Amino acid sequence: MKDLGTSSMVTIILAVLALLGAQAALWLSYFYAPVQITAGALFVVSPTPGVNTLNLYESYRIFFIHLPSAYATALCCGLCLVGGVMHLLSRSEKWDALTVSASEVGLLAGAITLLTGSFWADYAWGTGRIGSGWNWEPRLTTMLILWLAFAALLALRGAMPNVQARMKLTAVYGILVAPLYPLVQKAIEIGQVSHPRSFSDLLSAPEIGTTKQVATLGLLLAFGAAVALRYSANRLSFQLQKERAA
Amino acid sequence: MSPNAPSALVAFKTLLRRELLVELRTRSLMTSMGLFALLEVVVVGLGVRALPSDETFHRFVPAVLWVCVLFAAVVGVNRSALADREKGLHGAFLLLPFDPALIYLARLSSAFVFLSMVEVLLVAAAVPLLRFQIPQEPWMLAVVALTNIGVLAPGVLLASATSSARGSEALLTILLLPVVVVVFLGAVGATDALSAGLGLAGAKPYLLLLCICGAMFPALGLLLYGRLHEA
Repeated sequence: MKDLGTSSMVTIILAVLALLGAQAALWLSYFYAPVQITAGALFVVSPTPGVNTLNLYESYRIFFIHLPSAYATALCCGLCLVGGVMHLLSRSEKWDALTVSASEVGLLAGAITLLTGSFWADYAWGTGRIGSGWNWEPRLTTMLILWLAFAALLALRGAMPNVQARMKLTAVYGILVAPLYPLVQKAIEIGQVSHPRSFSDLLSAPEIGTTKQVATLGLLLAFGAAVALRYSANRLSFQLQKERAA
Repeated sequence: MSPNAPSALVAFKTLLRRELLVELRTRSLMTSMGLFALLEVVVVGLGVRALPSDETFHRFVPAVLWVCVLFAAVVGVNRSALADREKGLHGAFLLLPFDPALIYLARLSSAFVFLSMVEVLLVAAAVPLLRFQIPQEPWMLAVVALTNIGVLAPGVLLASATSSARGSEALLTILLLPVVVVVFLGAVGATDALSAGLGLAGAKPYLLLLCICGAMFPALGLLLYGRLHEA
């Protein structure tokens, strides 16, 4: 249980840093990053050169949450891969706990990515009606699928009665889910390209770049703290189950 | 491994022959997969019978057929794994002096053969029932082969692991669909591009996606199958 104490310390440190980072990101995104004043002059999105440009006004501020959440989803995919591979190599339950924690937080980060993206897209790409911005573009669709894959990974835990079989299948599924994120990145290259390729395609003011970096750091720390917290809880839960069974 | 163990090729041939012979005698897989796929075509046909036979309709039908293939594959791999589990063959296979990856490879190969046969049946039914126009491009064969591998490779792996779970049919579907939807995306995109006469240039990005999945999933399956089933 010694490493559980260490992970609790890591959780507390990460949580404090995440709180500070999130506060800084919030302040910067509202008081430091500028507003588009002249239509079409400062912040415009041009998905394809020569095609209609779109004024972002205040709406772009949602990207300071959307983008770090997408990064966190990617990192959770990576953690699932690491947890899966390490569990199959070592058979240690701590790697199983890491895969489960990463998929739980990935589910949350993926939901935030999808929701913030949809809120923005309903106005930017759609008519303002809920769901009007959802255009089944490859990156949107694949992100939704990734979110469903995290949900499926958690669902399988309840259906496998044998603990060892459950851990092995969780590890294997974590490894299978991991390549989905690079494929999300690849999917943008094909089909429609209404989704911006990167943040820099959209916005060029230096204040926005700084805010983006602080927001990314702050939110990644917050998601990192959530993974650490869930990791400790999952390991404690496993210890309890073992003690009850003994 | 025993010093008298057969070579990998001989072991693979024996395992594949066994899979094909069992199906030839029982016909249980082809019956369930084929009937399931046909029923899907009939149900879809009933739903779209009033739609005009325009360009949109002709672009919609291949996507529907790929959905039918996807679900037929899920039915097939699950039924195959369940049959082995019920007969207690699963554990027995793992005692054989072969690399477990060969068992996976034989399962994947036989499932590929069965799914390809179901696809022929599906196309034969879709031509009159859904006014399906078969794409004349030879690259379509590559799309079909890569899609089959991309869907079946994780399917065979996951089915063998979930066959002992509660509600294994539903669990396999829930687990498999998110993983293979990228393959589905590639298959539909490539079929659409080839049907529209865009040729290899139009279908290239989708074919690339299918190639990545067609190489990555069997490789992962070969690596993980033994790990998944070792005691």
